[in-house]
Amino acid sequence: MTATPRCAIVPPYLLVRLARLDDPRFAAAAEAARRSLLRDVPLRELRAAAHPPPRTFRAGTARERGRIDRAVWDATGLERLPGRLLARSEGWPATADPAVNEAYDGLGETHSLFWTRFRRDSIDDRGMPLEASVHYGRKYDNAFWDGERMVFGDGDGQVFNRFTRSLTVIGHELTHGVTQHTANLAYEGQSGAVNESLSDVFGSLVEQHAAGQGTAEASWLIGEGLFTDQVQGLALRSMRAPGTAYNDDVLGKDPQPDSMAGYIDTEDDNGGVHLNSGIPNRAFYLVAEALGGNAWEAPGQIWYDTLTGGNLRRGVDFAGFARATQAAAATRFGAESREHTAVASAWHEVGLGQSLVAGAAAE
Amino acid sequence: MKVSVSRSGGIAGIRVTWEVQVDEQPDARSWRELLDALPWDETEESAPEPDRYVYRIRCAPHEVVLPEPQVAGPWKDLVDRVRAVNEGR
Ligand SMILES: [Zn+2]
Repeated sequence: MTATPRCAIVPPYLLVRLARLDDPRFAAAAEAARRSLLRDVPLRELRAAAHPPPRTFRAGTARERGRIDRAVWDATGLERLPGRLLARSEGWPATADPAVNEAYDGLGETHSLFWTRFRRDSIDDRGMPLEASVHYGRKYDNAFWDGERMVFGDGDGQVFNRFTRSLTVIGHELTHGVTQHTANLAYEGQSGAVNESLSDVFGSLVEQHAAGQGTAEASWLIGEGLFTDQVQGLALRSMRAPGTAYNDDVLGKDPQPDSMAGYIDTEDDNGGVHLNSGIPNRAFYLVAEALGGNAWEAPGQIWYDTLTGGNLRRGVDFAGFARATQAAAATRFGAESREHTAVASAWHEVGLGQSLVAGAAAE
Repeated sequence: MKVSVSRSGGIAGIRVTWEVQVDEQPDARSWRELLDALPWDETEESAPEPDRYVYRIRCAPHEVVLPEPQVAGPWKDLVDRVRAVNEGR
């Protein structure tokens, strides 16, 4: 067994500076420093090192809006956060670990959607550093948002692959952060399902925006590629056709309803937040289908305005959310505009509210 | 005596249920000790966190619903043990 240099006498700030070097001449030193950061360094110092102030920063001057600041941590199979190893921080080159790189790139794509399309400066709109932890737990079949960062398991290898594989899942988790910092919807019952749906909507938009896909080309799948090929299924959910993402002899069939007629009353899953989200998911898809083009444009803008407009109650129900999207559409595009009409029709089709189109209004 | 663990939620929203017939276990006595020692009536309400699992643990006459962060200590021992029996480990 080769002894790893402990670097115990090297002060942490220097270790971190070494670890951040991307000059190939210092590659070995940087790698050794990175490895030694596994041990002994107080978390507070590592965190400060993960997000150093930008070089252009001067006391008294405002930071530059829209500037991304990422850190990906390696939880090394433990269930402690953020993790033992700072695996990649802003500006570091790619590593040999695909989970680290996927998380880093996914943070970038998510930041890019929110900043370039909606002028949102990170999760809190104040440049909050974006953090991810990968390799959480052993064979952990999940990804979640812990209130500060997104966390990814490796999957068990039989049903699930690693959870960083899907850009929609990365966008989904970070959107939970955006929701927390804006409407802060209660994560149970219908407001919880709206919270879930918003994460699916923007998660899907992150992927579409990154791939340059319009509504017609996009898969509208959430978590494509997460299932191993032993599973009969494409993804965790389908926004275009909720209830059709998988049908497997072990996992059963995708239980998502696609309209209020199939609404599921359950005490599990905080009141079915991952089940009933199919209903608002499909409403969003129907708006995008009606308007055509890129879903991150008018449809995404309307949903973003709704989320951030300050008019959603924490415990809003589906009907209240539907009304709020219509109000947002009317505000931005005009009452009875094409966009406003598309939103009203979409909700009508999933069993919520009245269409603006004459003749379809009787419910 | 039967103990069941039902896990729902997670980003996938897939529910999984594991059950163990305690009396059929070779170490039935240690199962009963573990079950008797659980703090069934001491669970606290806490705000749900996005995409974390929710565990429903039943062993008549007891039933608790625990968010994943609260599945620690003896609860985690129980869940791991129930899963291990079901997964043939
Ligand atoms: Zn979620």
